[in-house]
Amino acid sequence: MHSKQEHKLKVFWLQGLTCNGNAHSFLNLDYLGELLEKTEFLQHPLLPSKYALSEMAECKTGCDVLIFEGAYDPSLKRAGVFVDKILRHYAKNAKYIIAVGTCASFGGIFKATSPQTNSGILFNEAEKNGPLQEYNAKIINLSGCPVHPEWLGFTLNMIIDRRKIVLDEEHRPQELYSSLVHHGCTRNEYFEWKVDANHFGEKEGCLFYKQGCRAPMTHGSCNTILWNGVNSKTRSGTPCFGCTESDFPRTNLFETKTNMSIPADAPVGVPKRAYLTVTGIAKTFHIKRLEEPLIDYKNNT
Amino acid sequence: MITKTILEQIEGEASLYFDMKGNIVDFVTIAFPHFRGMEKMLEGKNAMDALVITPRVCGICGHSHLLASVRAIEDAYKNSDSVVEITNKAAKVREITLVLEIIQNHLKWIYLVLVPHLRELSESEELLNTPLKGAYGASFATKILAIFAGQWPHSSYMVPGGITSDFTYVDLTKAKSHLQKLTEYFEAETLGASVEEFLSFESCKDFAPLESDFAKIEQLLIDLEMHKKGHAKDTFLSIGIHEFSHAAKVKGTKLFKVASKYVETQDAYAPDEKSYAKNALYKNQFYETGPLARCMAKEFKLIKNMHRRFKDSAYTRVMARIYETAYLLGFCKKLLDEINISEASCRETIPLKNISGTGEGVVEAPRGPLIHRVQIKEGIIKSYEIITPTQYNIASATKENPSPAQQAMLHCSQADAKFIFRTFDVCSVCTTH
Repeated sequence: MHSKQEHKLKVFWLQGLTCNGNAHSFLNLDYLGELLEKTEFLQHPLLPSKYALSEMAECKTGCDVLIFEGAYDPSLKRAGVFVDKILRHYAKNAKYIIAVGTCASFGGIFKATSPQTNSGILFNEAEKNGPLQEYNAKIINLSGCPVHPEWLGFTLNMIIDRRKIVLDEEHRPQELYSSLVHHGCTRNEYFEWKVDANHFGEKEGCLFYKQGCRAPMTHGSCNTILWNGVNSKTRSGTPCFGCTESDFPRTNLFETKTNMSIPADAPVGVPKRAYLTVTGIAKTFHIKRLEEPLIDYKNNT
Repeated sequence: MITKTILEQIEGEASLYFDMKGNIVDFVTIAFPHFRGMEKMLEGKNAMDALVITPRVCGICGHSHLLASVRAIEDAYKNSDSVVEITNKAAKVREITLVLEIIQNHLKWIYLVLVPHLRELSESEELLNTPLKGAYGASFATKILAIFAGQWPHSSYMVPGGITSDFTYVDLTKAKSHLQKLTEYFEAETLGASVEEFLSFESCKDFAPLESDFAKIEQLLIDLEMHKKGHAKDTFLSIGIHEFSHAAKVKGTKLFKVASKYVETQDAYAPDEKSYAKNALYKNQFYETGPLARCMAKEFKLIKNMHRRFKDSAYTRVMARIYETAYLLGFCKKLLDEINISEASCRETIPLKNISGTGEGVVEAPRGPLIHRVQIKEGIIKSYEIITPTQYNIASATKENPSPAQQAMLHCSQADAKFIFRTFDVCSVCTTH
């Protein structure tokens, strides 16, 4: 019998070109303490670790799970060693490789700085031609800028419990990315009846029509598994910028591209004609309740 | 002989080149090896996109970048003869979320950086290694932040004219309740005294009855003689305009007026390795920035008293960061109580495409003044410059005119020097944006 100690999942968190946002996001996990009981960080950029990064960079040991944060940059060194070398050494024997964040998944922000050389580890934006092709079968992408702490918590727990994680075509767990960010948004009623948000700073109106919201085109569970346990971008009046998708960051992020004052991009899977028809009809109705402020503090305080 | 050490767990890494005389540090140069090119990436983009891109400079202080960015754009509006005036409510909420980001930063620094390295240096088992205390406290602070900002890290809820969030009394009540719990947690786990009592202390002697993590930290620092080591330049800089701070240049204990236009950068002096960091100077001189600088500019009694006895030692620097955490928790409560929910969250502005001009946004980030300078033509970014606090503190210059950190590491052992380096709360990613 092995002791519980020996069964702890050995995790190595390696960083490419990054802002550290995923490492910090992970620290927000509600059940971080419980998870750390079941895992052993051989190295993490913030948490106490068994080894220093310089020791891990000697490439003499192995890990169960390799977590990679940040964009892949072939010229980058960590602890004086090419990250490419460290990445390939640990990738070889790891049971799973998790790309945390959009940089590691698709290239993200730090591909944009050096588009000719940088990419995600498996994907380069939407193209599946990143450097770790040979480990395709064991790579899980947890895109998002940054990764949601519970998305990573879920994935690690599924691995610990030896459960199968069903992935989508972009190697993201379906449990987390099968629905759209739109799902669960508190502004859905305004979306249904095509009532725009007139400007920022109001709880009424949908941000899809003018403010650039990408929630109906973006896979993710931001509005069902809330951020920091309490909120989401769209609930707080900020448009979704589509940060879990391979084309992040897009440009003109606070504007909606329109054709004849109807958004040029239709929600995922909805035929353009169907969308235009429904929108055209919905727009002919005026629903007074949805055109007025929900709460009138000014006249009642 | 010059020896190289790579320091980790400083939001990335830095190379320190020690020139030793026997066992004593004679000089140190510092190189930051990673480059990301955030400023270049912004050129040619819609200026509003900066509100999404610049928070991604840094995973621990992205919210400060967001505020610097929105202030820079609003300044460009002003310089283009279209003044943007935000409501008191928007101003206060921006301040609250900034302050909460500083609190989470300090809590993580105490338990993920200070405590482990203090244990290592002192070889003491007295102080327990409890990283989760830092993570838990910080996650509480960011939970409150997210009530207003949608999420942390990487929110973009500040826009020209105010904030996007139209929160309710339900949200406000929740925020106050969480803040109360966070304050009680910090009092019980870290201080061993109420925030109110702690802030009323006027001298280190008042710490005597405390039995807490704070008391153990304080004692270990004294045991290690950190009150006699790690002195920087005894000059301080606080530039951002906020309710919680006072903008001033401080020399010793004398306060002088300060203006961000005198901040300039120069290439780092790092003869042994290519460094992508630039030094930040004020009128060609180095100043220390961050909690100690803010406490000196704000003339807090306790910190001034420590400074009188121990000057800008490593001890005073560490104490100032813990003191500021307590101060900001109290300050945040006051701000939450002052919010008038019936005011507008965001005022309408003319479209950005009508704006051409330059703008500057200055913010007191966790580690000190953060400056964003933008040049906009018809709503499009022509150039963007970011100057971060670590560029002042951890600049790498020549022996004749060392930076605060270089100065502070002189004439002690290498082990002490590495600890002293960390007392500046180094942020590698910000330095090499």
